[in-house]
Amino acid sequence: MISFLLSRLGRAALTIFLVMTFSFIVLRLSGDPALIIMSPDAPPEAIAAFRKSWGLDDPIWRQYLNYFGAVLEGELGRSMRDGRPAIQIVSERIPATLLLTLPALLLKVSIGIPAGVYAALHRNSRIDRMVMSFAVFGFTVPSFVLALVLVLVFSVWLGWLPTSGADTWRHAILPVVTLGIGGAAVLARFTRSAMLEILGQPYIRTASAKGLKWSAVVRGHALPNAAIPTVTVLGFMVGSLLAGAVVVESVFAWPGVGRLLVVAVSNRDLAIVQVILLLVAGTMVAANFMVDLAYGIFDPRIKQAQRGGGK
Amino acid sequence: MSEPGSTTAPLLEVAGVRRRYFAQGGFLSAPKPVDAVVDVSFHVARGETLGVVGESGCGKSTTGRLALGLEQPDGGTVRFDGAALPPAGTAAWRAIRARMQLVFQDPLAALDRRLPVAAQIRESLDVHAIGDGASREARVAELLSAVGLTSDHAGRYPHELSGGQRQRVVIARALATGPELLVCDEPVAALDVSIQAQVVNLLMDIQANLGLAMIFISHDLKVVRQISHRVVVMYLGTVVEEADADRIFSAPQHPYTRALVASSPSPRRKSRPALMIAGEPPDPSARPSGCAFHPRCPGAQALCRTQAPMPRLVGQGHRVACHLVEPWNDAGAAA
Amino acid sequence: MSVFSKASETSPTEVAATKPEAIPLGVKLGAIWLCLMLLVALIGPSLTPYSFTAIDLKARLALPFTTLHWLGTDELGRDVLSRLVVSIRISLLVSLVATIISATFGTVLGFLAAHFRGWVEQVVLILADFQASIPFLIFALAVLAFFGNSLSLFIMLMGLYGWERYARIARGLAISANAQGYAAAVRQIGAKPSRIYLRHILPNTASTLIVSMTLVFPEIILLESGLSFLGLGVQPPMTSLGNMVGYGREYLTRAPWILLTPASVIVLTTLSVSMLGDWLRDRLDPTLK
Repeated sequence: MISFLLSRLGRAALTIFLVMTFSFIVLRLSGDPALIIMSPDAPPEAIAAFRKSWGLDDPIWRQYLNYFGAVLEGELGRSMRDGRPAIQIVSERIPATLLLTLPALLLKVSIGIPAGVYAALHRNSRIDRMVMSFAVFGFTVPSFVLALVLVLVFSVWLGWLPTSGADTWRHAILPVVTLGIGGAAVLARFTRSAMLEILGQPYIRTASAKGLKWSAVVRGHALPNAAIPTVTVLGFMVGSLLAGAVVVESVFAWPGVGRLLVVAVSNRDLAIVQVILLLVAGTMVAANFMVDLAYGIFDPRIKQAQRGGGK
Repeated sequence: MSEPGSTTAPLLEVAGVRRRYFAQGGFLSAPKPVDAVVDVSFHVARGETLGVVGESGCGKSTTGRLALGLEQPDGGTVRFDGAALPPAGTAAWRAIRARMQLVFQDPLAALDRRLPVAAQIRESLDVHAIGDGASREARVAELLSAVGLTSDHAGRYPHELSGGQRQRVVIARALATGPELLVCDEPVAALDVSIQAQVVNLLMDIQANLGLAMIFISHDLKVVRQISHRVVVMYLGTVVEEADADRIFSAPQHPYTRALVASSPSPRRKSRPALMIAGEPPDPSARPSGCAFHPRCPGAQALCRTQAPMPRLVGQGHRVACHLVEPWNDAGAAA
Repeated sequence: MSVFSKASETSPTEVAATKPEAIPLGVKLGAIWLCLMLLVALIGPSLTPYSFTAIDLKARLALPFTTLHWLGTDELGRDVLSRLVVSIRISLLVSLVATIISATFGTVLGFLAAHFRGWVEQVVLILADFQASIPFLIFALAVLAFFGNSLSLFIMLMGLYGWERYARIARGLAISANAQGYAAAVRQIGAKPSRIYLRHILPNTASTLIVSMTLVFPEIILLESGLSFLGLGVQPPMTSLGNMVGYGREYLTRAPWILLTPASVIVLTTLSVSMLGDWLRDRLDPTLK
């Protein structure tokens, strides 16, 4: 178990390392960082001082090391717009994003998984068809279209909910629903096909031929086995929560990290972009790690491989 | 080492070749070495067919590939027409393919299912830039009739032909460049018995007409006997016996060969009791010490367990690697 | 990622299918829509009544279904229909080119990995894992932040979407082709590796790769329209479907047709390609999950 954890931690570290290297390379490639981070018409002395303080005259390998040192110390640059440390700006926005993404995640899971399981168990029934149509909808309608349509219907025509902003809890409903529905559709479809694949396996037929009640077969055999690929997808969804939030926050003018990212990209506020990049990498890595842990707990084959050390 | 009395150098000389693979280890263990071929030597003269027999896993396929230079031996040499084979993958190696070809066991897998068979036969000519468009077409037609197919078959796809027809296509493709050596790796194993005879006869005709040298690898003794001039018997990567085809079947010396011959159906064997081969088929990754066959040999001695026997001459052109068999002294016949 | 491609195993065509062998109605409709879109993209812009940038301040926010402006006008009096037609062309162009770039790049890398094995293969696999583990939207935003967004850069960026899927597939198919069968046989004849890959392995794997392209193409359309919607994709004066939706957002209350028309085109096109792709996959290569 220890070696398993260590190898997974190693992989996580490697991913973060790769993301940081990617950041560094792209930053250097995109032009002189001094000119990008400071404005182009700053006085030459200021630019020279900046280069000095950032060590931009050093050989590239030393810059690379310095960069890592700086990141580890938490010195990730300042926002161009107001000069505050990027980390601070980003962390201020995290709660707002969580306020949307966590309830949305709950929505996705509580609608998507049961719908998918039910559809698989009642294949070709009317419910199944409904679920499938709903699922199709999830990957053909982009989130911004869904968001705008919902706004059109519920804000403009029906007037029940506000259009945008983040003042009251009512403002959160449409964004959460938008995020949740798309994900629920994808999850439903995926869960359905995972269940179908498992239900088609010989051991399921054996179990029911042995005389077990169907519900017991499902509960005892099908669901646990379906849990494994589902956990993987969930891990991916958790890791990409922020990506989903980007568009939705922009449409609803919700002051979260996603919207911050879009604004930062438009303004080429690189310090902020870097911090968010690391945040996303960290989230993905953490999510993957949890998934691996869950595998280690749930999948007996992995446990056995670790214990026995192979043949 | 040429046969005593032969005046022409052999076309193919394989001397002391070894080949070791590394099988996947377990979860945490290192890869295990598997010696597929251990110190194999033989030669093939022009126009001669050498049969290579043995159970699965004895290394005969690997030997065939080493002989063609499709794999590099880890030790020993392979000489073709007096010169060492070029390393695999080089331009020289590609060029020499025109002189030596392989016929596969599974003709359906060896053919591209997307292309009509005539195009695939022609590909050999295209690759080696032999002739031009019209002459290549003519040659393809010539080859098709040489293997007993008609122009009707030319435009068909592999899956539209029968197994025997497909194998003929593979043979035609192999012959396209006029090779001097043909290595056939279990060419009839995948075919129905009635078709097997046809294909074997075809190969024999081709050899007679074109003066090809052939290495015929098979586990089927009956077929090998029919087509080979000389036979080499392999066990766990070593050559245990080598002799003229008739002699191998009429007077086998090595215990393994005897058991093989005894267990294969033949009209002349009806009266003799079958010798059973005791024990399990061997695991190439766990070679026994000394003589590889000793765990299953009815006559194994202490010496057999500790020392691997070297091939020794026990008769005219007859070599056996066994401690129990008397070496030939010019005075008398073999034991 | 095989994890997500599993989701497309049960296709929407299952919902629409009536007879087993006949082409489902949904797929037929989808094909018709796509042909229509292609037609519009090809010859539409030369037939539009107005230039897509023509501003007519006297006719701002005109309602649709009027004789002068079949789909109304936007806030600057530009004809929505004309802009829609040009947007369709640009969006389809960008998405199509990106799909092809991504497929080519991924397939070449996959073949290289399969051919050379060793460290080349390891590098390709690590890159593929890396790409698969970062949400592409974030990746794209980072690149756009660092490099700005000229149109050619944008297309190349879109051309990175999904390459790792093709690479994995191509590598797998090439390895199995190389291991036994026709590739080994042709190599044994003496053919050069380039010949083996171009004339044998590629044609035999093409159907699987093409099916993958139809599955990736709608995702690229969505990605491009999302980025353009955020103002980070196709830049004005060029217009794309996502762009139009972005501009139309301001006038959601007063003139919803400005954004509804491009939005519906996006949804219908994506739906059509998905249905077609799923149907093709069911027919050609049921082993692709």
